[in-house]
Amino acid sequence: MSTSTVSTSSGSTTVAKRSALAPLGKPFAAAAGVLAIVAALLPWVTFTLNDGNWPDKSTLQFFDAPFAVTGFRWHVLLIGVLILVATFAPVPSKGRVVRALGWGLTVVAFVNAAYITVKGGGLGAITAVEGATAFGAVVGLVAGVLAILAGYGIGIGPVGEWNFKVSTPVAYLVLLVSFGAVLYAVAAMLTTGGVGSANPYAGAIFLSFLGFAGGLIGALSGVGFVRWLSALSEQHRVFSVIVLAACALLLPFTDAGNEYWMTVAANIGIYAATAIGLNIVVGLAGLLDLGYVAFMGIGALVAANFSGAATAHFGIHLPFPVAAAAAAIVAGIFGAIVGSPTLRVRGDYLAIVTLAFGEIFTRSAQNNIGGITNGSNAIPGIPPLSLFGTEFNKSISIGAVKLPAGVLYYVLIVLLVAGTMAVFANLKFSRIGRAWIAIREDEDAARAMGIRTGKMKILAFLIGATLAGLAGAVFAHKNGTVSYESFKFLESVTLLAAVILGGMGSIPGAVLGAALLFVLPEKLRDFEDYRLMIFGLALILIMRFRPVGLIPDAHRRAEMAERADENAEEAHVEAKKA
Amino acid sequence: MSTPVLEARDVSMVFGGLKALKGVTLTLEEGKIVGLIGPNGAGKTTFFNCLTGLYTPTTGEVLLKGNVLPGDPAKVTDAGVARTFQNIRLFPSMSVLENVMVGRHVRMKQGPLASLFHGPAYHRGERAARERSRELLAFVGLNNLDDELSRNLPYGDQRRLEIARALATDPAVLLLDEPTAGMNPQETEATQQLIFRIRETGVSVVVIEHDIKFIFGLCDTVSVLVQGELLVEGSPEVVRADPRVVEAYLGKPPEEVEHDIEAAAASAEEEQA
Repeated sequence: MSTSTVSTSSGSTTVAKRSALAPLGKPFAAAAGVLAIVAALLPWVTFTLNDGNWPDKSTLQFFDAPFAVTGFRWHVLLIGVLILVATFAPVPSKGRVVRALGWGLTVVAFVNAAYITVKGGGLGAITAVEGATAFGAVVGLVAGVLAILAGYGIGIGPVGEWNFKVSTPVAYLVLLVSFGAVLYAVAAMLTTGGVGSANPYAGAIFLSFLGFAGGLIGALSGVGFVRWLSALSEQHRVFSVIVLAACALLLPFTDAGNEYWMTVAANIGIYAATAIGLNIVVGLAGLLDLGYVAFMGIGALVAANFSGAATAHFGIHLPFPVAAAAAAIVAGIFGAIVGSPTLRVRGDYLAIVTLAFGEIFTRSAQNNIGGITNGSNAIPGIPPLSLFGTEFNKSISIGAVKLPAGVLYYVLIVLLVAGTMAVFANLKFSRIGRAWIAIREDEDAARAMGIRTGKMKILAFLIGATLAGLAGAVFAHKNGTVSYESFKFLESVTLLAAVILGGMGSIPGAVLGAALLFVLPEKLRDFEDYRLMIFGLALILIMRFRPVGLIPDAHRRAEMAERADENAEEAHVEAKKA
Repeated sequence: MSTPVLEARDVSMVFGGLKALKGVTLTLEEGKIVGLIGPNGAGKTTFFNCLTGLYTPTTGEVLLKGNVLPGDPAKVTDAGVARTFQNIRLFPSMSVLENVMVGRHVRMKQGPLASLFHGPAYHRGERAARERSRELLAFVGLNNLDDELSRNLPYGDQRRLEIARALATDPAVLLLDEPTAGMNPQETEATQQLIFRIRETGVSVVVIEHDIKFIFGLCDTVSVLVQGELLVEGSPEVVRADPRVVEAYLGKPPEEVEHDIEAAAASAEEEQA
């Protein structure tokens, strides 16, 4: 996501660029704005592709209806207008805004151009062929690059600060509208490009939308709106939480309200809840755990065995809350056991211990140890949850509104995520949370403050594992099958990536990270063999440009800033020596 | 004589073949300030680490109010011995207030359930801890900096914050490891006043310092540690006058050194012959 453009640290290269580009900043920005608008109105494809018209009337036929600018062309147009506004209106931190919009525009133009080129079989598809010309993509790319350069030319100042206070009703209104917009954006992001392979261009549409949204968020963040909004929501915490929960529960009523997206959203939710649990271990206590998904597996296996499934080891069917509690407790016990080596080993060595545990779990489950995992046959046929006779995987209707199948699971998982968030937030701002952060920052100093570091670290593992076990229990019933294959090392790494990508120690970060990591592969299906490569590349780029994660926690942000300061100082000293 | 608040009996510490401490004994009477001086590498910080449970002495024991201290820093702090570090060790990306509240950790009764559910008891406990922390911050002279990240504080303020954090554990004994290192004379003077005020609150203090003038102006008794051994112990006047202390710090007078060298050379010649 190109929010990554927002806080790229302005290293020495930036400074050099700025001095050369300074006088060109505004003219470049103005030109970029105009070119973007032109690009939106130009055709992008010289001929009709084999898979059908490029979406949003971007072929020459577009000129049958010149004012019907939709989809990515509408995004390009909007970015162009915004660049012009940012250039000529008194906008705080102009350079950041223009640069963010420029990156958004570049991504949109590049994604569309690259797709058309590949699908059309050559650059002719986006330039001129057989007398037809279509330079929309080229102009769009030029405009994007110009805007990025203009951003550096204008100068990357500090993020804008909004100091004005608003009365409570106005604040409520702002929060309501903002979270509503988030809901809309989430629904749009999920549904854009359609479901699976129904639309041949789904991948391109999604990536292009991602670029557009990233550019906009980057611009908003550059202006200082994002920071102001988060301060505002912190101030009205209870209200924000309620609105956010309401927004999450409203998702089934949007365009995303069909069975497919409810399933995807529910899966994201399960992994988000697990990621938040992992965030306690990694983000708060600073203990690297590479085998975390095993706890989720243990929870899922326990729940599956008590579910009354035909292949379950125990032939009893416990009610779900009891089974879930059992799953959480068993996972928690294993968490404490795995956590106990933390008394002796630190850092990398601990990571190796947890890695080994994860591997032991997978191998044991694969070999059906104790007869409770069924090995590679898995445990199928776990009955879906039901409440008052309504099975959770059936569609339901409230009055006249018919809700898609899987909506009840979605609601259950929203509650699960909300509960996990509450656990995380409450612990973070407590005696225990402070002790964890102290251990993360300086273990010896923490001990000198009277913190029993051993107990605290085991507690972190225990609570993290308990949450994972709970998520695993839901996972078992939701998917109906529990196999060891769902809990391999790669899943642990993906969860860890979700935590780091979103921002360690931050709750919204973990959710966003999980969402990205589990939506992207879904959305990149039409890249087939290349999708994991693109996925990996995206991760590298995000971590390069936003090393603290997408939504960093205040503590982490400070740490990274400190490191940057130190580096700058070292560089300074070295420069003096030379 | 009443029981001393802190007593180190015959403490030795051996790392492999290196004898860092050789039978050091130190007593701290309640309400007193004891200074610990000595050249670099004399074992002062090692001795501190033995007092705070970071190291378990090879032989000897440390007693707080007559009870043997456990060999675990956390338990030692709980028992009532707090410390600061030679190289400041705050929690850099926690706020000033949070740093001090971490110090309250051992005195808070908040268990896992209260931490999880934030009931009325949680709020009472947090409020009390916050108030006490603010009091201590005011006591050391750090007002209105609650939300500042501790890494952003100037050096002198970081030292004072570390003292406030140590005081937050409600200690009977406070161990200060070079509290004025890197400070200018004004700051040193302020630190001296602060330590006097800490003593007034009933906390006994042990200070390691290189600044002899500072130590002699501050302490009730001074102990000199040289190469792991307690060389001299006594009031500042006694210690100041002791020729062995002068020797340990400044070396021998030149004529004596010359004499030593000649003697060494002579003995070497003898060996060869």
